[in-house]
Amino acid sequence: MPVAPFSPEPYVTLNQSLTLVDTMARFHLKGEARQYFLGYLWWILEPLLYVAVFYVVFEKLLQNRQPDFLYFLIVGKLSFIWFSKSVNQASNSLVMNKGLIAQVYLRKELLPMAVIHQGFYRQVVIFAFLLILLLVGGYAPGSVWLWLVPIALIQALLVAGCGMLAALLVCLQRDFRFVVQMGTLFLLFMSGVFWDINAIADETARQWLLRLNPLAALIDAYRQVLMLGAQPNLSILSWALFEAVVLMGLATWLYGRLQFWIARSVVAR
Amino acid sequence: MTALLKLTDVSMQFATEADPQYTVFRGVNLSIRAGERVAVVGRNGSGKSTLLRVMARIFAPTSGQVEWADGVSVSLLSLGLGFNPVLSGRDNAYLSCLLVGLSQKEALESLERIEAFCELGTFFTEPVHTYSTGMRARLGFGTALENRSQVILIDEVLSVGDRAFREKAREALEQELSGDRAVVLVSHAEEQIQRLCQRAILLEQGSVVAEGDCAEVLARYGQGAP
Repeated sequence: MPVAPFSPEPYVTLNQSLTLVDTMARFHLKGEARQYFLGYLWWILEPLLYVAVFYVVFEKLLQNRQPDFLYFLIVGKLSFIWFSKSVNQASNSLVMNKGLIAQVYLRKELLPMAVIHQGFYRQVVIFAFLLILLLVGGYAPGSVWLWLVPIALIQALLVAGCGMLAALLVCLQRDFRFVVQMGTLFLLFMSGVFWDINAIADETARQWLLRLNPLAALIDAYRQVLMLGAQPNLSILSWALFEAVVLMGLATWLYGRLQFWIARSVVAR
Repeated sequence: MTALLKLTDVSMQFATEADPQYTVFRGVNLSIRAGERVAVVGRNGSGKSTLLRVMARIFAPTSGQVEWADGVSVSLLSLGLGFNPVLSGRDNAYLSCLLVGLSQKEALESLERIEAFCELGTFFTEPVHTYSTGMRARLGFGTALENRSQVILIDEVLSVGDRAFREKAREALEQELSGDRAVVLVSHAEEQIQRLCQRAILLEQGSVVAEGDCAEVLARYGQGAP
């Protein structure tokens, strides 16, 4: 009898996988919206609430005198929540889909990728909201704003790599959920969301922080482009791209080898 | 007849809290030929579902060899698993069709047939978390009939639902799974096994202790029952 090797290769083609990821993402968004009374409105309400909180705390209570500090915070926070929310949601994507993994023979990376894609859809709306806020705030749009596209693509790659790796860690041990949560909290403070990385006096330390933390580099790049109308630092951005590619490459390599391990650790526990 | 699936000396171990090398089953040899309907019987925890998952390529065995005929597709149908409770039955059915490799067009075409088979009425567009166990089984069964796999592995699903649905499911199985397709059925319903299957295997204490004619295997299973 002609036999096939024991292989994790799926029945679905790459094109079908992309369709599947996109459909899962759209259906999950629909399901998520269905759970709340205000549904899809939360896509806008959530960032709007962040803006309201920042305005009350930093502008009214603390009476911050730094010009444009409110916009500085908004740009930083709205790009950071894309990372934190997607990575945290993706970290649970394998263990939460125990039923599916137990029943259907599929590439396991499709599950975190669907969650990451879901976050990408949401972020497109948030970026549109951010651009409107900046226009209302008097920031002049220019061709330099086009840099938003490559910067966002690098962040998408970074989110995908980190999300896929976080999902594997949670498979290994459920306790890693808390580590991932704490890790994103740590990055919140290390990425210059609430403070300006360019305020670090030691140039060497500043450069190292930007190179070692791609999220800090990306947030700084968003501000350079959207608020200062300047081209981002390409050297720093290249580092962020390199790190995102390495993380994504590592995640892809690990998923290629751990398909059955994932199934066992999710289903048989 | 052509063998679609063959297990040779297959063993499965899991790490549990009590035993880091707990043996679910060992030394299983089984060949499933095209058009065959084979029942797997055994007590709860005897490894029947795990065996189906090895056949469905969800688990790799700890040792032994599993061979599938070139290009053969295998689908596992088990109760209440795989559905996203927040999504409607329709959306879940559509996703299930994509998951087994149907194109978007084929999946959309399947939806009408699934809806008609499941007889869920307006519940078809309601979230699955509002479904009863029987309704989930109907949806699962109706969706599974669309996947066109050559080997269908059925885990307990036929034993739920009302009498009319069980009869309908049996008829659908006999109609849809004729020809070269094969069925491996895990069930505790002896009458169902006798009607649907040509042979059976009995899993007990991690091994296949009986194999052959359904009546004989079920009699052996009955003798061992507490």
